[in-house]
Amino acid sequence: MTPAQPRAQDLRLFCNPDTQLRLTVNDAISYTSVTPVWASPMRYPGRYLALLDGKGEEIVTLADPDELDEESLKAVKGILRKRTLTATVFAINQVKVEYGATYWTVETDRGIREFVTVNLQETANWLSDTHLLLCDVDGNRFEIKDATVLDVRSRTLLAKAL
Amino acid sequence: MATVTSAPADVLITLVSDIGMQGEFASRTLEVTSSFLRTIEADGTESLRVELADIITARNEPLIGGGQMEVTCKGGVIIPVIAYSLTLAAAFSECARGIEQLAGGNPLSIKISTKPLRCQQCGRLLPDKDGTCPVCVNRNRTFYRIAGYLRPYFRQAMLLVVLSLCTTAINLVPPLLQGHLVDAVFNKHQHLIILYKTIALWAVVIGLTALLQIASGRTTAYLAGSIAADLRSAVFQAIELLQVSYFDKKQVGAITSRVTQDTDRVWGFLVDGLPYLASNSLLFLGITIMLIVTNWRLALAVMAPVPLMLILSAVSWSSISRLYFKVGQKWARFHMHLNEALTGIRVVKIFAREEAEMHKFRSRNGDLRSAGIEADTRWFTVFGAMTLLVASGQLINWIVGGEMVYAHEITLGQFIQVNSYIAMVYGPLQWFGDLNQWFSRAMAGAERIFEVIDAETEPYDDTDNHPPIVGRVEFNGVRFGYDKSNPVINGLSFVAEPGEMIGLVGKSGAGKSTTINLLCRFYQPDAGTISIDGVDYTEFQLQALRKQVGVVLQDPFLFNGTIAENIAYARPNAPFEEIVTAARQANAHNFILGKPDGYDTMVGEKGAQLSGGERQRISIARAILHNPRILILDEATSAVDVETERQIQEALANLVKGRTTFAIAHRLSTLRNADRLIVLEKGRIAEMGTHNELLEKQGVFYHLVQTQSQVTQIMEVGD
Repeated sequence: MTPAQPRAQDLRLFCNPDTQLRLTVNDAISYTSVTPVWASPMRYPGRYLALLDGKGEEIVTLADPDELDEESLKAVKGILRKRTLTATVFAINQVKVEYGATYWTVETDRGIREFVTVNLQETANWLSDTHLLLCDVDGNRFEIKDATVLDVRSRTLLAKAL
Repeated sequence: MATVTSAPADVLITLVSDIGMQGEFASRTLEVTSSFLRTIEADGTESLRVELADIITARNEPLIGGGQMEVTCKGGVIIPVIAYSLTLAAAFSECARGIEQLAGGNPLSIKISTKPLRCQQCGRLLPDKDGTCPVCVNRNRTFYRIAGYLRPYFRQAMLLVVLSLCTTAINLVPPLLQGHLVDAVFNKHQHLIILYKTIALWAVVIGLTALLQIASGRTTAYLAGSIAADLRSAVFQAIELLQVSYFDKKQVGAITSRVTQDTDRVWGFLVDGLPYLASNSLLFLGITIMLIVTNWRLALAVMAPVPLMLILSAVSWSSISRLYFKVGQKWARFHMHLNEALTGIRVVKIFAREEAEMHKFRSRNGDLRSAGIEADTRWFTVFGAMTLLVASGQLINWIVGGEMVYAHEITLGQFIQVNSYIAMVYGPLQWFGDLNQWFSRAMAGAERIFEVIDAETEPYDDTDNHPPIVGRVEFNGVRFGYDKSNPVINGLSFVAEPGEMIGLVGKSGAGKSTTINLLCRFYQPDAGTISIDGVDYTEFQLQALRKQVGVVLQDPFLFNGTIAENIAYARPNAPFEEIVTAARQANAHNFILGKPDGYDTMVGEKGAQLSGGERQRISIARAILHNPRILILDEATSAVDVETERQIQEALANLVKGRTTFAIAHRLSTLRNADRLIVLEKGRIAEMGTHNELLEKQGVFYHLVQTQSQVTQIMEVGD
């Protein structure tokens, strides 16, 4: 039988130092190094947050991380942002398809970036009808969370490339 | 944050990252000197400094879509140093190793690969860091190199050129004859004999054209077949000699496509493209001259739509090509699903997922249909516009030429002649628009082929200057990592005496298979040495060394062929009696005789016609016939029933006699017969001794046995 997992209300997460997430459960058990990971970031974005201990073993998985108290949630999100280098694309400035390679210039939440993709059939993954994940030749990720809300030019360029 | 005033004099490593402090895309520099490391922001300020004397370890923490270098300092404090995208992961990984070396007081011994990210010529990002820019690839150099494949067929190639010239010349004749007939026979209403003579000449021309077509078709067929075979052989030969590490980086499908698709593109261009280019260019030139000779003003008028056709062709080609590329992608997805659904048909049925698979199929099929319709629709629209321009050329001839005939500026025969030439000139023009893309695709294919041909091969040579191996194997301080900064084997030292059986034990990832890979010299140690009979094994001729090493794998690979051919794989000329003896020793003889075709039974692709236990015994027989001095058994008895395992164990007992054997086994009890067990943990030897010694010691091996015994009990209860 799987032991009962602690509830979100039982958890206190904080950073000490700024780069290290710590956890106390019911103010009784303490974890000095905690790694937060999304269990299903594509299918269930923002849900199913797993907290792993220093050995990489699961402490708890929270179906709804928003149930954490405000301070804990802030600490977790701060660490998650540092651990996740996926860029969210807001606009596509340029797409050029030449000799099997596709050259992109995009505006993202991390700034403007140029990247190149090949074999788009494998590296452009539609996670839903509107949610697209592009992986460049090195494996760097660029996410378009909702292709329908991109500006007209971006949508046209995206359609041209894909 | 302190402002950087000057760069330290003894900077040993400088690496520029592409991720800023807040995770934004920004330039950030890491400098490592002999005494400290520091990070410098884009504005020149120093944001972090750590003394090397304080550092215990440096590591690379994988992040999602990148990584972060961290150092652990005295007191256990972990300091994140710098984040980077996956583009720079390898360089920062090597850098961490360098920091550890310096922090440990060792000399810096790393190789940071700084391959250019952008093309030096056009500034575009490079799709393949090891390759060339597909846009700026030197097509001429590549062209001359692939043209070299024509050299053995020089006479046939020249014949094809001559045939192309003759075909072009003879194609210009019929319109001339038509004009002549109209002017000399119909207009003048006399000399009917001229009609018969001209028709006779025309018949000769038609006959010659047919002969030329047959001759050039036959020459093309010969050249196409020969060059395609030569190219495929060259690529396959190169692949066979490549280092194993090359296959770690490339997918089998991608390599296969180089042998098939890329070679097809190249020979297609050489054999179809070049002669077609030559004959169409000549034809266009010939027709233009003929038109100008006939009447230059009419020639200019009828050629007026030509620039429009070229523009239309150039403009529409890229979009049409993209649409057909998309169709190709949809086909690939379609095939992938079809292949998966058919291969896994039993799983689909057992889970009653037929409807779900049908739904997926309909979706893929619908995508393919939409892409096909879109591409074909665009193509036929452009084709229609081309036809319109061709027709307008003829219309211009009827207007301008008609007026000229009416004004007696040209004869009716000349008018008919021009009309025929127009029909001929527009065909090549439609094709010229595609030429650049066709050429580029062929050259891109050639580049990919040459990348394989030029890749570093294993050091094969024909000379073998060593006596037969006795079988003493010594690992001395061996370190190795697939990723050089993350050693899988770290300081491994042991000696295996001739004829000794060594069991390699450890958890997954402990380094067992890597030890075997090193022994087979699929990879070579990054540090330390492996000696055989006291000689560094790199001094052995590679094939001679491997001929002395035999392997029996958990899932043995058999080639499509007969049982006898598979047993005799290493010695194709072995007498049948020896094959049978090997099969007997491998406990395979009886089941082979039970098959209708005995030793001539076809095993099917990957041995699919045989059971797992049968395949295993065939592979043991193969190893026995190979008769190596060093033997590797990699999980050779797993996944078979008890009786089969007994037979395999017996076969293995026959096989290991007198050979230095390294055995990896999932079930630790099967290593009871090993002379010694080496227990590996994180690439190092944790324990070494006999089975009983290690059990008595109650150390790592004891705990592994205990854990396995508990798992077995759980499984038995579950059963």
